Amino acid sequence: MSPFEIGLISVVAMVLMIYLGVYIPIALGVVSFVTIWIIRDNITLPMALLKVAVGDSVKQYSFATIPLFTFMGLIVSRAGLGEDVYKVMNTLFHRVLGGVGMATVGANALFAAVTGSSIASASVFTKVAVPEMMKLNYNKRFAVGVVAGSSVLGMIIPPSAMLIIYAIVAEQSVGHMFLAGIIPGILLSAAYIAAIFIMAKFWPNFVVNGGKMAAQESRELLSAGQLVLLCLPLVGLVLTVLGGIYTGWLTPVEAGAAGAALGLLLAVGRRKINLKGFWNALLETGHITASILFLITAASIYSRMLGIAGIPNALGDFLETYQLGFAAVMVMLVVLMLFLGTLLDTASIILIVVPLFLPIVEPLGVSLVWFGIIVVIGAEIGLLTPPLGISCFVIKSTIDDPNVTLKDVFMGALPFAGVMLAVLLILIEFPVLSTALLP
Amino acid sequence: MPATFTRAVNAVARGLSLVAKIANATGTLVVLALVVLINSDVVARNLFNDPFEGTYELVQFLMVMIVFLQLPDVIRINRLTRSDGLLAVLAERRPEIARFFARLIDAISSVFMALIAIAVWPEFLRSWDSGSFMGTPGIFTAPNWPIHLAIFCSCVLAALIFLAKAITGKRRPERLHLEESGA
Repeated sequence: MSPFEIGLISVVAMVLMIYLGVYIPIALGVVSFVTIWIIRDNITLPMALLKVAVGDSVKQYSFATIPLFTFMGLIVSRAGLGEDVYKVMNTLFHRVLGGVGMATVGANALFAAVTGSSIASASVFTKVAVPEMMKLNYNKRFAVGVVAGSSVLGMIIPPSAMLIIYAIVAEQSVGHMFLAGIIPGILLSAAYIAAIFIMAKFWPNFVVNGGKMAAQESRELLSAGQLVLLCLPLVGLVLTVLGGIYTGWLTPVEAGAAGAALGLLLAVGRRKINLKGFWNALLETGHITASILFLITAASIYSRMLGIAGIPNALGDFLETYQLGFAAVMVMLVVLMLFLGTLLDTASIILIVVPLFLPIVEPLGVSLVWFGIIVVIGAEIGLLTPPLGISCFVIKSTIDDPNVTLKDVFMGALPFAGVMLAVLLILIEFPVLSTALLP
Repeated sequence: MPATFTRAVNAVARGLSLVAKIANATGTLVVLALVVLINSDVVARNLFNDPFEGTYELVQFLMVMIVFLQLPDVIRINRLTRSDGLLAVLAERRPEIARFFARLIDAISSVFMALIAIAVWPEFLRSWDSGSFMGTPGIFTAPNWPIHLAIFCSCVLAALIFLAKAITGKRRPERLHLEESGA
């Protein structure tokens, strides 16, 4: 067998192992180890690769962005910023049919600018927005669907753990990835709001039961002064983090640390956190960091295995032989990500797909920052699709209401997954949307 | 399995858990140190125009510590990223087969972690003997051997924890743990 055939078999074996429930980093590592061993017919090379991957891939300065932004997100969630922005958005949108849905999208978009995780967004807004919508006679599927759909914004609008992970595997600047995520994030939020508007206009029954929403109590609405006051901490954090990176005053690592410190001050100042909460946030940060970085380590072994087996080159030759151009590559990419998205989490999809496709798209002369945005958004659609849409699971487990089934969450999220796909196609067609803010 | 053997394995597993928890608490303090270090550097540089020497190398060092001090605990509490939807379905229909797979997976994982430990060990000996370091001589240097030692110990502990899981096989396959992927 040629190395290429062995390599292809190993990729298939790896996907099978992952589906069977093998820990993802172990599956990546074991399959790559054995494959290199077979191709080279000696064990010294895979052992050396193991040593290099584990010793060197963790030891990078830019990796510090992962614990720092994770910690910032956890602290900011505890500080109650999500609830604040929700109140602000609710006051702005309360007159419109579907307004609470739009408010949820808007609040998620703003909250996403201080957290890097969809899970945090999903759990915060399930607690805040879903009961509110149920009270106002909204359709339960719509209520949970909006929260699921908009939670995805957490990982597209910077700072975002997934943008960092892509930056690391594709050797791009974390700062550039963050800046590139801004316009696509705003675009997706706008598309969600437009979609809710259209749904409320043409299928009011999907949005609210019987097509009529109950009136909102005015005591939950805020005056202009309160609005500004509630927005200030969030705006301050966003300006420090993204402004610091944009002006070059802070490196992404420093911006993460500064954001974490400010978030902590805010949480302490509002008496939202005690020593135990603080310790738990640190602990959680450590766990998340260790599992993401171990995954990245395993992925670096896998990407070397692909190189040794010559798979990216062979794929490139295949495309050339059959005169398949750039469009075909993008179709393959999107289909593959949607397929993997049915069972895998976003980070794993990015780490499996990028080493396969990067060597193919790089010679085409496209912007690798733009490509990263495409990969991150494409991989995120999987958060919303059955059978293993992670955001949907989080919402189901947070909501604690037997009347809302997992199926309801998936059905409600489906229109939003569709909107995401449409936005993804627009972003593929117009790369300038992703690259406009780059220096 | 003889009862004494099971008891012995359980006792060892409890001991391993304790070590993993201690490493985890230490790693948690390192996360705090990372936040404090970088912020101090930013403040010192901007307010007093006096950046710390060696922040860059220290951050690299702390990152390795965080990952490898926490990894055994991540494994202990079953939070290593996996997609076990199929295993969960299987656990309902054919629990004994699901348990067999779960134990097999833990056994394979144990072997893999042991391989990493074996690969890193000579590297530790080399950096210990040669006194190799990172950073720039005269400004800031840090020895490399603690990094290699931490990786080695972490992987040995991880391999043992996986092995204990494979032998006892007590926990039924759990649902996917989501937060750890940062998803």
